[in-house]
Amino acid sequence: MARALMAGPRDKLPSVIATLHEMKLIHIIDHHGEDETFRIGKPLPPAADLSENLVKLRSIANLLAVKTPPKKKETVRIEELRGKILTLELNITEEDAARKKAEALLSDLDRRIDELRPFAALELALETYRGYGTIAVLVGHIVKEVSEADFEGVPTEVFQAPGFVAVFAPKSAADQVLGVLAKFGFTQIDIPTGEGNPEALLDEALADLEKWKARLEEIEGRLETLRDRHAAFVVAAEEVLEVEVDKAEAPLRFAVSDHSFVIDGWLPSARSAELRERFEAMGIFVESEEPHRSHEPEEPPVLLRNPKPVRPFEFLVHLYSTPNYHELDPTQFLSLAAPFFFGFMIGDAGYGALFIALGIVAMIRLNRESIWWRIFMVTAIGGVWALILGLFIFGEAFGIPFHPPPAHLEELSFETFGISIPLQPIIHKAFGVADMVYLSILFAAMHLGTAYIIGFVNEIRHNKKHALAKLGWFLCLFGLFTLLTFSLRWNGIALWVWNVPLGWFPRTIEPLGLSGFVGVKLPLVSLVLIFGAFLALTESVIAPIEIAGLLANIMSYTRLAGLGIGKAAIASAFNTILFRGMIFPGQIGFVILGIVFLIMAHLLVFLLGWISAGIQALRLNYVEAFIKFYKGNGTPFRPFGMRTTQEV
Amino acid sequence: MVADPFAALSAAITMAGTGIATAWAEKVVGGATVGAMAEKPELFGRGLILMVLPETIVVFGLVIALQLLSKVGAP
Repeated sequence: MARALMAGPRDKLPSVIATLHEMKLIHIIDHHGEDETFRIGKPLPPAADLSENLVKLRSIANLLAVKTPPKKKETVRIEELRGKILTLELNITEEDAARKKAEALLSDLDRRIDELRPFAALELALETYRGYGTIAVLVGHIVKEVSEADFEGVPTEVFQAPGFVAVFAPKSAADQVLGVLAKFGFTQIDIPTGEGNPEALLDEALADLEKWKARLEEIEGRLETLRDRHAAFVVAAEEVLEVEVDKAEAPLRFAVSDHSFVIDGWLPSARSAELRERFEAMGIFVESEEPHRSHEPEEPPVLLRNPKPVRPFEFLVHLYSTPNYHELDPTQFLSLAAPFFFGFMIGDAGYGALFIALGIVAMIRLNRESIWWRIFMVTAIGGVWALILGLFIFGEAFGIPFHPPPAHLEELSFETFGISIPLQPIIHKAFGVADMVYLSILFAAMHLGTAYIIGFVNEIRHNKKHALAKLGWFLCLFGLFTLLTFSLRWNGIALWVWNVPLGWFPRTIEPLGLSGFVGVKLPLVSLVLIFGAFLALTESVIAPIEIAGLLANIMSYTRLAGLGIGKAAIASAFNTILFRGMIFPGQIGFVILGIVFLIMAHLLVFLLGWISAGIQALRLNYVEAFIKFYKGNGTPFRPFGMRTTQEV
Repeated sequence: MVADPFAALSAAITMAGTGIATAWAEKVVGGATVGAMAEKPELFGRGLILMVLPETIVVFGLVIALQLLSKVGAP
């Protein structure tokens, strides 16, 4: 990044803004107006009008409920916008007012109908419930039927319909009557306003309701037509207006004096010449320079630059934190490790092929800008690993192994179906738990080791002490790894690693001939290496305590084995139950049902695998590895003129 | 026949205990994360990391359980 400064006469501001917006090159640093001469600029004159139009347009879009962008695009000219928006607003606010009125009326009518309905059953005119001097009228819902005899001598008159009662009683005895009614589950209701036969009133209200419902439908139909006709315009106009408002309000970010302006910002160094050429032709002063190595008061923004296949992974780095300007971009590290871990946990040719297929569908059908496109791409790359590992290492597809494990010939496999696949598994998941766990530890050492090396490179550029600490941790990791490999030698893979790649590793400390510690046979050099962590004393006094933490980090990778085996076990359990229980017996009904269940079960395993393996693969990178070298907290490069796309 | 039933039982208890511990811890963290995300949606990444941290507990449980199972004789 280079820091650029542009200065020019104020009357050229609009054309400069237009060019900047078109070039999408400068990440503007906002001016805060702390200067006497250079204050924060004022928006360009059309800004007020433009924002007003934008607000109107947004309210129109809201009223019309325009959500999805319409299929056909419409081109909009800024000069016609105002007139068109005003007419549209007039039309729509009118319709909207009518709709609101109809909706209010409908809810009033609904309430009225609810009130009237019980009274209609009693067939007493509404005015008979009111206007007495000495008689109290108690009306309400009731659970059990009540008769005049129940009121123990109080003179009452009772009118009843199912679940509803009206009791006329002297006011003096009202409390007593209420007490009796309470035993019958009485809840009092208000008497509706109005006069006349409630049944007639109810019919009238119902007729009104129908009428208004029809009218509301009519209004909504009209709004629908308006939406169909104008949605494309609204979306296009909103886009155009947002850009124009952006431009018109840009001076708020510049330093402006009475006659000149200054724009301060960052741009990719490689393009400074382009900027200079373009603006010097317009008579604007441009100056740009690389930031000094020393700590600048302001960190330059960060533009990640990665080869194309790695780019879908960038969002995963931003999800954690944008790298700062002074460190290596971890995207490539992540793009190698995360899909491999994902593939190792899935470890199944069938699911791997499905992930790839999903990725291909996404590539064709989805918009490249969308977050889902990136998610599908990332999982498809994981799917490639799953396919490779599933075919050549684990030898299974959809939880069914190509060949039954040697000691368990009765297990379900592709041979059961008469399919012979000429690939022999190297590790059989269910019976190679130790292999899986050791492989996880091996991957942990490689992954964390790389993380420390990147950390070392990051630190050596500005803090030699911290770089030394990274080196110490790397040695400690290596010591722990050799110790673990040594103690797991009973496992074939560990033994191979111990004898071949680690063949050079000193087993004993030669001149002393020591090969153990208090009678236990141990590679002592490993122990010495573990104390390499004390180099981290340069980082902090308590850092060496973290040796246990590092061991925990390594152990944490055994989730690779755990998830891999667990998922395969669930899939194979479903397979065994459904094939042996429903499909093999051969009754046609059960076979169909069995196949349906089988598809559902595999869909479940597939989705669970996707979520859990995806999150775990990310987590191993974020929590275990990134902490070792990655600081982040950078500002993403957002050049003026680039429309902000939706983030996760 | 299982050579050491207590080893098998211990493995089961280890898995159950660490599983419950993880679930409880994730419940607390997850609830708080969703709350924080309502205020600041960009905390999703950080939240995800904190959310999956307690899983280490059950992974340790798994390692211990596997070690215990190696003490269980072949059926």
